[in-house]
Amino acid sequence: MRLAALLTLTRLNLSREKRGALFAVFGVAVGVGSLVFFVALGLGVGRVVREQVFPVDAALLDVVPPQVSFGRLLGGGTLDEDTVARLRALPGVAAVYRKMNVRVPAVSRYEGSFFGSQIHMGLEILAVGVDPGLLDQEVTPESFVDRGPEAPIPGVAAKRVLEIYNKTFAPARHLPMLAPAMLKGFVFPIEFNRSYVARVEAGTVIPARIEMVGFSDRVNLAAVTIPLAAAVRLNLAAKADATTFTAVTLRATDPSVLPALEEAVKKMGLTTDDQDRKLAKNAGLAVALTTSALALLSVLICLLAAVNIAQTLFASVRARTREIGVLRAVGASRSDVRGLILAEAAVTGMLGGLFGVLAAVGLGLGADGIARSVLPPFPFQPDRFFTFSPLLLLGGVLLGLVAALAGAFFPSRHAAAVDPARTLAG
Amino acid sequence: MIEVRGLEKAYPEGGMETASPVLRSLDLSVRAGEFVAVIGPSGSGKSTLLQIIGGLDVFYGGEVSVAGTPLRGLGDRALSRFRNAQIGFVFQSFHLVPQLSARENVRLPAFFSVDGALGAESEARAEAVLARVGLKTKGARLPAQLSGGERQRVAIARALYAKPPLLLCDEPTGNLDARTGAEVIELFQSLHAEGLTLLTVTHEERMSAASGRVVRLADGKLVAEGEG
Repeated sequence: MRLAALLTLTRLNLSREKRGALFAVFGVAVGVGSLVFFVALGLGVGRVVREQVFPVDAALLDVVPPQVSFGRLLGGGTLDEDTVARLRALPGVAAVYRKMNVRVPAVSRYEGSFFGSQIHMGLEILAVGVDPGLLDQEVTPESFVDRGPEAPIPGVAAKRVLEIYNKTFAPARHLPMLAPAMLKGFVFPIEFNRSYVARVEAGTVIPARIEMVGFSDRVNLAAVTIPLAAAVRLNLAAKADATTFTAVTLRATDPSVLPALEEAVKKMGLTTDDQDRKLAKNAGLAVALTTSALALLSVLICLLAAVNIAQTLFASVRARTREIGVLRAVGASRSDVRGLILAEAAVTGMLGGLFGVLAAVGLGLGADGIARSVLPPFPFQPDRFFTFSPLLLLGGVLLGLVAALAGAFFPSRHAAAVDPARTLAG
Repeated sequence: MIEVRGLEKAYPEGGMETASPVLRSLDLSVRAGEFVAVIGPSGSGKSTLLQIIGGLDVFYGGEVSVAGTPLRGLGDRALSRFRNAQIGFVFQSFHLVPQLSARENVRLPAFFSVDGALGAESEARAEAVLARVGLKTKGARLPAQLSGGERQRVAIARALYAKPPLLLCDEPTGNLDARTGAEVIELFQSLHAEGLTLLTVTHEERMSAASGRVVRLADGKLVAEGEG
């Protein structure tokens, strides 16, 4: 049968069984709609987790000395300049960035005006020195340079710290909300070799100032990041280890070489710090699992819709047995009859899928609007919770089609098997 | 036009263990342009003979050839095309699709034709055939809005739509009153006069009388033959 004939007959058949067809369309729409809604929510939340909560650069690998190493007793297993040179020579390494903690505690006591508010605050601070190249996308090289003991030390903080401050700390303490640009140039005092909570080796307190020069996703969440030269200088002043590094970040030529690189690093007796990567992976997994459970529920609804379509079509085929006999008499083959039933189901499924997708998008946009106007601000609050990708929308419509065709499979075979001789006798 | 040789047909009985013969070694020839009436008592195999010749029933023994096409061995698709192009069926119970208008019922064969037009051309053809059976103004009506005689005319128009050379009619006046039955017989006579081949199963004496030849079946065999 030609497509035009199939479409015309399908239209005629559906238009005379409007009630059953509408019910079937509704069933498919509910299943597809809920699936698209929940998957879009999962994609949206996953995006926030990936991009804002646990941003991970796929080409970076943090190398740290092993916690236990027999080699260290013999002088191995440490991150010194020789080891850094060997790491730099590994195949697939594009760049190497050294990191050194300031190996004495530090505190900051701030009293005075803080963007219009008077504050009295004391904070334990961890300072980490890094090679400036690691932050070259966020901070200009000339601003991230140690200019000696008398000048303020340039500092970079994690973007996430600012987000947490703005959404929780600032509202609770009636402090001003801050933008990264506002904090650039902000200077606060710091005292190295001093602590409120930890025991400090006897020694001189080293007073200094830190000037904020930028924010980055690549720095430690719980530390202020300073130039490596400053960390070396401070460790020398505090008579702490200033020759070995706390960690080394490797930039791979391509994210795909990371597993091989990790393997090579382990062969050198070193280990990798993939805590952030694992956190991101676990959070992503939790979101994916929740989304999958809800998607499974939706697929079950689609399955029920398919069963409903099967029942509707079986009833329709039973009621139209004589008509099918007539169609056979005027020239319809078994495959024509099967095609007619499948085409009716396909139209039902496509319409159901389309309405389901439209309803899901409408509900998602509505929920985003309500969330924006009703929910109080919280860290990493996204502009939108739902991500409706074109693939998801297309997949929704296709799922409706597949569910309907699956439901029509047996009824169409039943219809094709109608014996015209018996049906039209008498 | 029709060649039937040694036709055998039996229906299973008692759970497929035994079979009840309906047609036994039946031979029949119908020339192109003939108007043949098949008569006989109920259960003599008249309708079964018609369904086999029309390619609706494919489970039989013997050989059947229609318009030069041997039916045995034709696949479902080929047999369907054969029915679409070569045969027009008229049934006692009309078998119109109740939700479709008379015009849509008439042009049903167009949907399964390999090369037939579907648009305005198809509708014009349906109107022309409806006019041929005297229903020029009633194409938009549903079957329920037509009388019994009119419904049978719509069924005849549907059978004529694809211009088949052979019309197979199973008790076409069986559900009609005497007056409308006579009108249908008159229509068949005029179609015959135009050269159409008609094979009709009937209990109606007037139909037999109108035909050119009458064959009588009894117990699945052709027992007598004569002029109408």
